[in-house]
Amino acid sequence: MSARVDVTTPEAAVPAVREPVGRRRVIGALTIALGLFIIFVFGFGSAGGAHSVVVFNPINLSSGAPWNLSNLTVLTRWWNVVLGLVALALGVETWVRRPAGALARFGVGGVMFFLALLLWSVRQPGPAPIGTINITSVLVNSSAVIMVLIFGSLSGVLCERSGVVNIAIEGQFIGGAVAGAMVDSTTNSFWLAALVGIIVGALVGWLLALLAVRYIADQIIIGVVIVTLMGSISSYLNIQVLAPYPNLNLGNQPSNVAIPLLYKIPVIGPTLFDENMFFYAAVALVALTSFGLFRTRWGLRVRSVGEHPKAAESVGINVARVRYSTVVLGGAVAGLGGVAFIATQGQFQPGITSGYGYIALAAMIFGKWKPSGAVVASILFGVSAYLVQNLQNSNVPISTEFLTMFPYLVTIAVVAGLIGRVRPPAADGVPYQRD
Amino acid sequence: MSEVVANATSDAAPEKSPRRRWWERYSSTSPITLTMLALVLGVVIGALIIMVTSATVLDAWRHSFHHVGSIGSTLKITFDNVAAAYRAMLTGSIIDPTLLFHSISTGHGWSETMTPLSETFTYATPLVIASIGVGVAFQTGIFNIGANGQAIMGGIGGTAVGSMIHVPMIIHLPLTLLAGIVGGAVCGLVPGVLKAYTGAHEVIVTLMFNYVVNAILIYALTSTALQLPGQANGISRNFDASATLDPIFGAKSGLRVSYGIFVAAAVVVFAIWFLKRSSLGFDFRITGANPNAARASGINPKFIVLALFVVSGGLAGLAGVVQAASTTHYIDSGFLVGSAGIGFTAITIALLGRLQPMGIVWGSLLFAALGVGGRAMQAATGIPLDLATIIQSIVVLFVASPVLIKEIFRLRKGAQSFQMATKGWSS
Repeated sequence: MSARVDVTTPEAAVPAVREPVGRRRVIGALTIALGLFIIFVFGFGSAGGAHSVVVFNPINLSSGAPWNLSNLTVLTRWWNVVLGLVALALGVETWVRRPAGALARFGVGGVMFFLALLLWSVRQPGPAPIGTINITSVLVNSSAVIMVLIFGSLSGVLCERSGVVNIAIEGQFIGGAVAGAMVDSTTNSFWLAALVGIIVGALVGWLLALLAVRYIADQIIIGVVIVTLMGSISSYLNIQVLAPYPNLNLGNQPSNVAIPLLYKIPVIGPTLFDENMFFYAAVALVALTSFGLFRTRWGLRVRSVGEHPKAAESVGINVARVRYSTVVLGGAVAGLGGVAFIATQGQFQPGITSGYGYIALAAMIFGKWKPSGAVVASILFGVSAYLVQNLQNSNVPISTEFLTMFPYLVTIAVVAGLIGRVRPPAADGVPYQRD
Repeated sequence: MSEVVANATSDAAPEKSPRRRWWERYSSTSPITLTMLALVLGVVIGALIIMVTSATVLDAWRHSFHHVGSIGSTLKITFDNVAAAYRAMLTGSIIDPTLLFHSISTGHGWSETMTPLSETFTYATPLVIASIGVGVAFQTGIFNIGANGQAIMGGIGGTAVGSMIHVPMIIHLPLTLLAGIVGGAVCGLVPGVLKAYTGAHEVIVTLMFNYVVNAILIYALTSTALQLPGQANGISRNFDASATLDPIFGAKSGLRVSYGIFVAAAVVVFAIWFLKRSSLGFDFRITGANPNAARASGINPKFIVLALFVVSGGLAGLAGVVQAASTTHYIDSGFLVGSAGIGFTAITIALLGRLQPMGIVWGSLLFAALGVGGRAMQAATGIPLDLATIIQSIVVLFVASPVLIKEIFRLRKGAQSFQMATKGWSS
């Protein structure tokens, strides 16, 4: 497109500069649609007198309650109309001004959507048996899912930045989860469980690296097969070992570690500062990965191997070794994610990871192969994944199937360039052979 | 790396005795040799897994550590356990010699004798169809990882036509199969359009689409007219008798093998014709071998991608409807979901069969036999049937990395590493 533009004339140069604008218009239009949907379905779709109760105090208190916030009773219709108007305004602004942060505005619109959905689903008189929505508990429970997705997508970022496609995140999750459940049940220590989970995840990563880097097998096939392999091994172990010896699968959960004072803040405190150690580990890993990949020599090497292995080789970087170590590291991170998963979900059952590995993969792609982006995407997908479970459990008469599709549809839209444009590392998935 | 070079130089030795040539033929990396060796490795690893996870074996070893000299009986117990598992797998998937002898000598009980083979063919039927769909895409360099979603979509479409339209069989059955093909093709067309017009990578799109289709399945089974009336669970209406693929030997024989295998045979013939003789198939293969040359010779790459996804998705959809119409006659929320999914197995079988229709037939029979045998093994010995899936996965891991097998068995000849056409996300 831009190649055809004659750069000598200033008039012709203008469209080249404005090239991404069309995409921002699309995002703006989508946000406007979101706002209108909220106003007319969640707002005017609820009866005039209906009201919803919003609760802020957490249900489970591990280390004392945060400062009290009393319940808020709102008129469902008008609150949802206001929420919709906010999304609408953001959409109009994006449409008109086409700002750089268009995707972020879409994200805020998404948050409005979730809030409106919650208010709408608990409205009284309405179909829901419980007329309250506990914001804190929604956030706390979502954060358990988000944490797992963060581990998975960070694993993906690491592997793919070095040029190896890691579709096997799900397999590393499963490995970490089985190992974590067994070790924790026998030793009653989640530290040991985490350690073993890391080792198992690293081993699965090593298998991927061995076949993909050393034996130059197709990375996507290997990834798919590793997931099948780990799934069947876990199912085999479940029947053959865990079922006859239930004391290997007790389903313990680690206790939370509250950060003094900070946990007292309402809503935010229980969500961010009164969590188990895996949550803090995830936060630390995000910072570490981000710093490591973009601020250190090691990170530069990893990225150069993922972008242009030949150039990296020519300045003396051992491409195979860098890829090996990074994929093993990525496997270890995902393995830890598997332990984190089992730490929040309890007993291991086959299929318990139910595609979270693939949602993590989607989050990594949506996050543009960046740790920070992966976090944002994990939050978005994690909340929606949690809401799917929760709305199903609380008997809300809407088809949660469409909410289930949300992460996947958004990722497809992103990959297709409908909203935003993502660019993977140039050599991602391409085996490297020295001539 | 140096080992590879050493082997390559030893190949260059000019003089060979006839006997050595024979040996080299079988110790070289021909596809059949590689697959057989991969199977051997899978079986060996499976045996190791049985050993370290069955309580009897472990107890015997513990005993032998305390009582020196009992190692012989320990080895025997180990061997017996593994042998019992594999024997059950073989007799449960192919033929039980005892039953066969009984049938031959008395002329009765043929139904029991033939049941394992019948089951294997029943399982293999949809696998053949779906794998050929995936294989056709592979040959063009497109990685259709969404075969499972397309098969589910085909199942939904086929079930809708098969259960809600009431016409005579001569129209109904073809219409049902056609609905399955259309369902799969539509589901394949979406990634195809995105790939052709936006450049979205088909692996990501089809992978995500599998999950989208899972949600569509649940929706179709719980919130549409497809749901069996009066049911709260996700379960569809039943196929009309005029839309099912009936057992060849009649329902009374107890053998489930159905007319579906003729559908599969037709697909194999179609695929051979399509890839070898038709001009579209030629364009497909050219595009797979060298996209640039294809474009230069006037082949429209966009059209190829779209046509490819229609063919590949349509075949996967056909597999889905054949599965439903020949075995259960309805679909439920577990249809082809998770471990029951034929889509991912189809990917591995396509690879195992080297993308060739006949190779895929053999690969499907092998995988079906492993699956059916695994069930028999679980019934006979209590060892979970997931062992069969483990063996399948290991076989494919090895087949996908021929260099590894070559190193393990010190095969001669440079392994022609099996070049898959995928080129990572960014292509």
